[in-house]
Amino acid sequence: MSQHSFVRGGLKTAAVLGIAALAGLVGLGTANAQKTIKVGVSLPLTGADAEDAIHVKNGIQMAADEVNAAGGAGGYKIDLVVYDSGTASAGQYDPAQAATNAKKFVGDAMVVGAIGPMMSGEGKAMTPILSEANLATITPSSTNPDITNPAFAAQYKPKGKAIYFRTVTTDAFQGPNMANWMHDKLKIKSVYVLDDSGAYGVGIADSFQKQAEKIGIKVLGRDQLNPKEADYTTILTKIKALKPDALYYGGVGQAGVKLAKQAYDVIPNMIKAGGDGMQGQSILKGVGFPAVEGWYCTNASPHVTEDPGTADWAKRYKAKFNNAPYDDYTITAYDAMLAMADAIKRVAATGAAPNRDNVRDALQQTKLKTLQGELSFDANGDILQKVVSVFQYHENKAGPADSLDAQAPYIGVAPEVPQT
Amino acid sequence: MSFLDVFLQQVINGVSLGAMYALLALGFTMVYGIIELINFAHFNVFMVGSFVGLWVFEAMGFSGQSQIIYGLPLIGVLLVGLVIVMLSTGFLGVAIERIALRPLRGAPGTAPMITTIGVSYILFNVILLTVGANTLNYANPMPKVSWDIGDATLRLREVLLWVVSFVLMLALNFFVRKTKMGKAMQATAQDQEAARMMGVDVDRVVMTAFFLGSALAGAAGMIFGLYYNYTSFIIGYTAGLRAFTAAVLGGIGNIPGAMLGGILIGLIESLGGQYLEVRWTDVIIFSILVLVLVFRPAGIFGRAAPTKS
Repeated sequence: MSQHSFVRGGLKTAAVLGIAALAGLVGLGTANAQKTIKVGVSLPLTGADAEDAIHVKNGIQMAADEVNAAGGAGGYKIDLVVYDSGTASAGQYDPAQAATNAKKFVGDAMVVGAIGPMMSGEGKAMTPILSEANLATITPSSTNPDITNPAFAAQYKPKGKAIYFRTVTTDAFQGPNMANWMHDKLKIKSVYVLDDSGAYGVGIADSFQKQAEKIGIKVLGRDQLNPKEADYTTILTKIKALKPDALYYGGVGQAGVKLAKQAYDVIPNMIKAGGDGMQGQSILKGVGFPAVEGWYCTNASPHVTEDPGTADWAKRYKAKFNNAPYDDYTITAYDAMLAMADAIKRVAATGAAPNRDNVRDALQQTKLKTLQGELSFDANGDILQKVVSVFQYHENKAGPADSLDAQAPYIGVAPEVPQT
Repeated sequence: MSFLDVFLQQVINGVSLGAMYALLALGFTMVYGIIELINFAHFNVFMVGSFVGLWVFEAMGFSGQSQIIYGLPLIGVLLVGLVIVMLSTGFLGVAIERIALRPLRGAPGTAPMITTIGVSYILFNVILLTVGANTLNYANPMPKVSWDIGDATLRLREVLLWVVSFVLMLALNFFVRKTKMGKAMQATAQDQEAARMMGVDVDRVVMTAFFLGSALAGAAGMIFGLYYNYTSFIIGYTAGLRAFTAAVLGGIGNIPGAMLGGILIGLIESLGGQYLEVRWTDVIIFSILVLVLVFRPAGIFGRAAPTKS
């Protein structure tokens, strides 16, 4: 770790010692401000998820820049190493690329922690690699519960310690809570469930379906979409003929955009809902009104972008990124970076040089006031706060066309148990 | 919906899908028929066509599905779009042939085919880098008109798709069978050397085949956008692969075969999805392809090609 990279062969030992000593003195002389530490960021910046990934990246960037401007994390300047985990051939996030990125982080000794990934499919591919190096990552948006479930520890944390922390809750809540909410508020009696064959989509659709069956909603069918397929009218026609009260879709934008567009033609009056994969700019823009009108979607975090506590943050964000849009996951990403910086700071405060092991251990002890509230993780890395927020797309011609707050207003919290 | 209504609706869905595959399959089959080259660039010429269509409609002031026009102006706008798209992708096809493939004419083995894969990736990445990776909302001036047949619905865009595909296919068939250039194509397809000796300008024939095939791919791309209301840099892959399968199923090199293959694949996709499960679509399509090829290696309409010495 602490080898001097300028030591080259051919120099005489004495000279080497002299330079090393000098470097040590210089290091002490300029205090801590010049020390740099790397944090890896892996996000699907290519493909169908790119739009939302950029907002997440903005959140991370903003937090890192603010920490650096205030003198760094415990004196360490944070240098973000950003890799793209989306590939052109996948057209969206690509788990294989995410795994490659994880290997790059592990291979760079300066990387002491990471933020990301965005998608659960990436998380499943990255965790075995990150765990081997005990390199902790904080995901601002991936919600598949398996990754942090102790039952799958051998697969996702073979080294034993939790390395996958989250600033959002999981689909163990997101799917079932939405089933409860649809049961309570929309009074649905039957539903058809679809997923997009990704890790996240299958997981959230499974957990939704299980809870729906448990609380007496009849599941009329379950099928799987190929996200590269253009045409979903076949399945939509089948659903139309079955006449369920609602359609629930577990999945992200690549299939979701097409599904929403075609559902508008085939089943315009049916209740349609999805998870956080259906919440975001890529859906708002890609589907557009009128097709997206009426879709329900959720977030695995409290709704904070309209919270008075984030007004100042929003102002700084807009100034920094030229009025770019943002969503709740921009804030969970910002919070994730703050938590990482906080962990590094607490390590530095003990006098130790931050490394992967002590940063991970410090993260586990996180108790930090963030934009979404008090942030702490349980022993598995899951956030203690478990709030699922519900939104519904509804065109607001007076509001900004690219603002989710205006075009997909927040309508409440989905409960952990049915209320009625 | 009764059993019959559902069946009818899925047949409508399937024929629409099939018409698009067929338009795309024609380009594969024509080029293969003449120079025995599988042109993988075709996938992405189709994709580029859908973007050109989007830009043309946007240039005419349409965005999203909010501005709707009816009657003659609608037909006019669609025709203008179609002509511009077909010309641009047609010339794109000619450029691909001239720049990347003609120098390789007569090159041994798979070199030209691999080149088309390369060209395909170039188109794919050019669009990815210039337009970006987002799924784009298509500018579509068509009203949401539909007719009910029992519980099944026939929409205007399906009618448009069928009419345009059918007219283009008939026109192509006429061109190949009746015109002088078409006969030159047939002659080149049978024996390039002999055709050359009889005074056929083989380079022009090949160029024409690329122009027509790519123009049809462009038309399919624009119709794709109007039909699904979206486009993205990635649409060429699945549609192209299905269209290629359609061409092989019908008998590659055979124009009516490509049409039949396209419609068949579309119907298999929609009826298979209805009565089995959508997740099995690819398994069903490719199993049928394998079965057909086992029993009729040259495809449904194809004849085993004479060995060339």
